[in-house]
Amino acid sequence: MQNEKNRTRAVTDVIIILVLTILTGTILIIACGANPADAYALFFRGIFGTKAGFTEIFVKACPLILTGLGCAVVYRTGFFNIGAEGQFYVGAMITTIIALNLTAVPGILRLILALAAGFVAGGLWALIAAVFKAKFNISEIIVTIMLNYIAINFLGYAVRSFLMDPAGNVPQSAKIDEAAQLKVLIPATRFHAGILIAVACVFVVWFFLDKTTMGYELRAVGLNKRGSACNGISVMKNIVLSAFLSGGLSAVAGGIEVLATQKKLLEGISANCGYTAVLIALVAFNHPIGVLIVAVLYSAMQVGASSMQRQMGVPSSIVNILIGVVVVLILARELFHKIKIRNNKEKGGRA
Amino acid sequence: MPLLQMKHICKSFSGVYANEDINLTVEKGEIHALLGENGAGKTTLMNILFGLYRADSGEIFWKDQLANFTSPKEAIAAGVGMVQQHFSLVNKMTVLDNVILNLKGNAFVLNRAAARARLVELAEKYGLQVNPDALICELSVGEQQRVEILKALYRNVELLILDEPTGVLTPQETTQFFDVLRNLKNEGYGIIIITHRMSEIMAISDRVTILRDGKQVADLVTAETNPGELSAYMIGRELNESYNIEETPKAENMLVMKHVSNDHKHHGRHKIEAIDLVIRKGEILGIAGVEGNGQKELAEVITGIQKKKSGQIILDGQDMAGKTIRERYEAGISYISEDRLSDSLITGMNIIDNLLLRDYKKLPFAKHSIVNRSAMRKNAKEKMQQYQVRASGKSGVDTQVRLLSGGNQQKLIIARELTDSAKLIIASQPTRGLDIGATEFVRQQLINQRNAGKAVMLISADLEEIMALSDRIAVLFGGKIVGVLSREEATVQKIGLLMGGISEEEEK
Repeated sequence: MQNEKNRTRAVTDVIIILVLTILTGTILIIACGANPADAYALFFRGIFGTKAGFTEIFVKACPLILTGLGCAVVYRTGFFNIGAEGQFYVGAMITTIIALNLTAVPGILRLILALAAGFVAGGLWALIAAVFKAKFNISEIIVTIMLNYIAINFLGYAVRSFLMDPAGNVPQSAKIDEAAQLKVLIPATRFHAGILIAVACVFVVWFFLDKTTMGYELRAVGLNKRGSACNGISVMKNIVLSAFLSGGLSAVAGGIEVLATQKKLLEGISANCGYTAVLIALVAFNHPIGVLIVAVLYSAMQVGASSMQRQMGVPSSIVNILIGVVVVLILARELFHKIKIRNNKEKGGRA
Repeated sequence: MPLLQMKHICKSFSGVYANEDINLTVEKGEIHALLGENGAGKTTLMNILFGLYRADSGEIFWKDQLANFTSPKEAIAAGVGMVQQHFSLVNKMTVLDNVILNLKGNAFVLNRAAARARLVELAEKYGLQVNPDALICELSVGEQQRVEILKALYRNVELLILDEPTGVLTPQETTQFFDVLRNLKNEGYGIIIITHRMSEIMAISDRVTILRDGKQVADLVTAETNPGELSAYMIGRELNESYNIEETPKAENMLVMKHVSNDHKHHGRHKIEAIDLVIRKGEILGIAGVEGNGQKELAEVITGIQKKKSGQIILDGQDMAGKTIRERYEAGISYISEDRLSDSLITGMNIIDNLLLRDYKKLPFAKHSIVNRSAMRKNAKEKMQQYQVRASGKSGVDTQVRLLSGGNQQKLIIARELTDSAKLIIASQPTRGLDIGATEFVRQQLINQRNAGKAVMLISADLEEIMALSDRIAVLFGGKIVGVLSREEATVQKIGLLMGGISEEEEK
């Protein structure tokens, strides 16, 4: 009975959020002087109209899936890592260094090595915050944000100094040679092999969280640290493990972006996906499959919006506004449920 | 004219009376003690007076005027002050600022100089010395208490309610504190002191009202009574002894504690000091005592949740030194915590997962770190049946534990902890908040463990429970074992006195 009630409530919530979002979108489109019907038609044509447009969704979703997974893993233990952005950059940098310099190693192996090294480096980068939390109880939120600044600006420094393309004059690295690139799988699109890696990671993480004893521990620690500790589960070990995994996954996102999409290291390569990832994990309730779905939907909206902007001049910012609205509504809905629960609790109790 | 009259106060929570037809009268210049066990309804009654709860029925007269306060603000304005068990001070502010915080007469620009002068005057008059410029977090608990009292006096209260005021004080501080109370009494203040310590009631109070299970059982003049009578009133209930307790040999020791102390300076823990205890195989050792005298610390030091500072813990011949919580569980120490929701269960997980919090890594539930869902599910179904765990709704073993009733949550913990390999079961307040059926079930399970030759440490604030189940009873007071009685020599009165910190010699 309880479940049934929850389900109907969830369905009504989704419908309410959908209606409110479409309403806001329509108002914004009308306000900038366009016909909503035409605008929505272009929006969907942008998504489903061409092969290149449709596959572009996945190109955009790829880093979001990986960073979103990273956030989801670590939020399960209650460790609020905001550092996906910085970990992404660390991964991108290390992957570039290996891919450019280990020329003695043949292509595919070098590619794997480069991504693996990126994974480890990103994991270690995230560990700094975990250790600060464990040893000195310093807020992981502050530490990871600060580590972001360091990583982002160190990349800016690197592409102007030791990583700068010797042949050029712009702040970016040399081009990764073709052997170590992640190949495009569908001709005439940008759909690359890295997307498959991201999807594979979704299932690996899902298996890890759902089917292994480590996933069980992570879940227990996230839900009740004190209870876990009292039953002999190490809280620290699990926070450290999830932080490492989280940093690693975000770093692989950076590595793939270098090896598949840009083929070189440059500033702003993340397009802020490390911050978007926080939202994606939140909306997906930290579930790996949910992250996949939310990341793809998010990217689809971006692709549709840019088609709308190109052909009708409707600003694509509308989509970002709408995404903001959706997230706020989802959170407000959570808050609403929480208030209800608290009210119920306050009724009882004997002093 | 009495200062305060509470007449026929009734208050129930979800159908259970916390206060049933209680009458209380306090005169000016009187120290009135409110005595009773945990859950007897003392704090509820005072919260009603102070405007934190509304009574279901009954009337309060303040100086002969009908006055049912609806908020603490109203109560304070009328002249009733209350010092709660947990202080309400702002840690990072000075004493002075705490005292004048949210004062009605505050101007937009604070006049600290005038406030300080009045504070210092009050402090000197009643012997409540404290530095007005010290930060609250720099003060000792005793000093913080003085600030709380000063806060009330500064607001011109005429009646002061003190909830368990001496629980946090050292004996020396208590003596000083009583001097302050006598000063206040001589100035004509009315004082209500909530306590369960018989010695303090005898030392300080003029009259005493005793509550039990929400009812008023006696109203006595302190000078005409004695600790023995008080404890009989406080506890005296008929004992149920219909449990199936078999003869056991009790020849071998299961748990031996030698001079165990904890590190109590951290995390606001209570102390336990030089604990020497033995529990034999086939025996239930009851740990009686008023809550907060080290019970939780004792349990956690044995289970390994807290580190001990010194001493030795030996389980069935095996030294537990340096062993982790899980190693101790594997060695045979099972634990039913008093804080079931925070310590024993993960309420956001379902029944299946909660039943495996201890054994999730073991075969058949996991192999090479990969969990076997069907084995876990089967285990949950069996345990639910065996221990009569009932989940309302259709979800069965998939039900989240937070949706279970308290009794079913407790049965779940018992189903998990009472394994075949358990040797020592530490059960802390195992029947608290449970209905009669669940209570009987839990008690019989503990007895079954004992009958099977295991050792049980039963920590309970419920003396009836302790006396009904235990082979021997140890009393914990102030972190020390103040007495161990056999089942035959234990009487409610003897234990009650020990619980109140009076050893038998002192009484005579």
